[in-house]
Amino acid sequence: VDADTERLSQKFQRELNAGLVGLVLLAVLEQANEDLYGYQIAKRLQKLADGSPPVKQGALYPVLRQLSANGLLASRIVPSYAGPPRRYYRITGAGRAMLAQWRDIWRGTRDFVDGFTEANGATS
Amino acid sequence: MNDKTAPRSIEQYLAALRAALAGEDPALIQDALYDAEEYLRAEVAANPGRSESDTLELIASTYGAPEEVAAAYRTTEKQVRTALAAPPRKTPRTALGRFFSVYGDSRTWTALFYMLLALVTGIFYFTVTVTGLSLSAGLIVLIVGIPFFLLFVGFTRVLALAEGRLVEGLLGQRMPRRPLYPAKGIPILERIKQMLVDRRTWTTMFYFLLMMPLGIIYFMIATVGICVSIGLVGGSIASLLLTTGIGSGGFTLDDQSIYFGPSPIAAPFLLLAGVALLTAVMHLIRAIGRGHGTLAKHLLVARADAGG
Repeated sequence: VDADTERLSQKFQRELNAGLVGLVLLAVLEQANEDLYGYQIAKRLQKLADGSPPVKQGALYPVLRQLSANGLLASRIVPSYAGPPRRYYRITGAGRAMLAQWRDIWRGTRDFVDGFTEANGATS
Repeated sequence: MNDKTAPRSIEQYLAALRAALAGEDPALIQDALYDAEEYLRAEVAANPGRSESDTLELIASTYGAPEEVAAAYRTTEKQVRTALAAPPRKTPRTALGRFFSVYGDSRTWTALFYMLLALVTGIFYFTVTVTGLSLSAGLIVLIVGIPFFLLFVGFTRVLALAEGRLVEGLLGQRMPRRPLYPAKGIPILERIKQMLVDRRTWTTMFYFLLMMPLGIIYFMIATVGICVSIGLVGGSIASLLLTTGIGSGGFTLDDQSIYFGPSPIAAPFLLLAGVALLTAVMHLIRAIGRGHGTLAKHLLVARADAGG
């Protein structure tokens, strides 16, 4: 049973992440005052989440590519000594506009969910 | 979480990731491996005090185990495919409606553009490949021959990536978005050997050589097909306008009025034939676009099980 709850919790977390990672990535790149590559973005999230962010860093890259393909991020490639050439991302105008909308949606959803889960948690 | 032997080196991790993605689109696998390598090499470089195997031990909790990362790419790819796919058009119910629906399909028009462009890109690829190959062969006895060949193969890979972007954008075939990154720390002679035995090096060059005849054929099919159909339609309309007296004129040669258009009786039939031919040509263009996408995928993208 323990393994089952663990598995279901992980699934719940994964499903939550599916939409939220894009929002977080856009927000990180909006706040950054320089172009960032995948590894730097991953490390920023890790630092903010006290070492263990709810999303594995390997899951960030496909989302970065997706955002870039949708024109919300722009990117350029810079050669690196450490490994393959790095792709640096920055947010585009369309990305900023989208972020503002997503932020509103997120706030609305969060308040809506809080309205139920917090109240129930307090009474029971 | 998983007690299978955790990867202890970057190569092992990438091999495990490749295995976890087995059966996926080769282009997706190439992208995933590229991203993982960027992260892992940066992580190792950021911790100079720690050995590679110690760093890799911690990777499962930060970057994710190969299986988790594979799952992330799978789900994102599925979402992207759903999100980026053009909204499913209502398939017209009648056969006639389906026949003409080809005009509403954006793939038809992008494939047409690709076919016209193929004349230019085909000649360019052919020239580059033939020049590169013959110069490599000619210079092989000199010391500059080897670096030249390496440079040439590298250039064909960049070109293959660019062509892949073109194919994905215009023909809708998923192609790699990242270059294939050569393994590090291999002596130059070994690297040349790998390039020579890599099936993809040769299929890429074959594709580039093939692109010239294909480009010419595509261009001809597109231009001749469309011109003939439009000629039929236009000629018939001109003939009908002349007979109804709405239009007037024609060509004169030595004061003799000449007229090559269809007779008024044949005109309506030729008009229909022109419309049907144009639509058939559009169907052919869309089909060629699809077929060429598959061809490009097979020749330009390494198969996942090929290793390397």
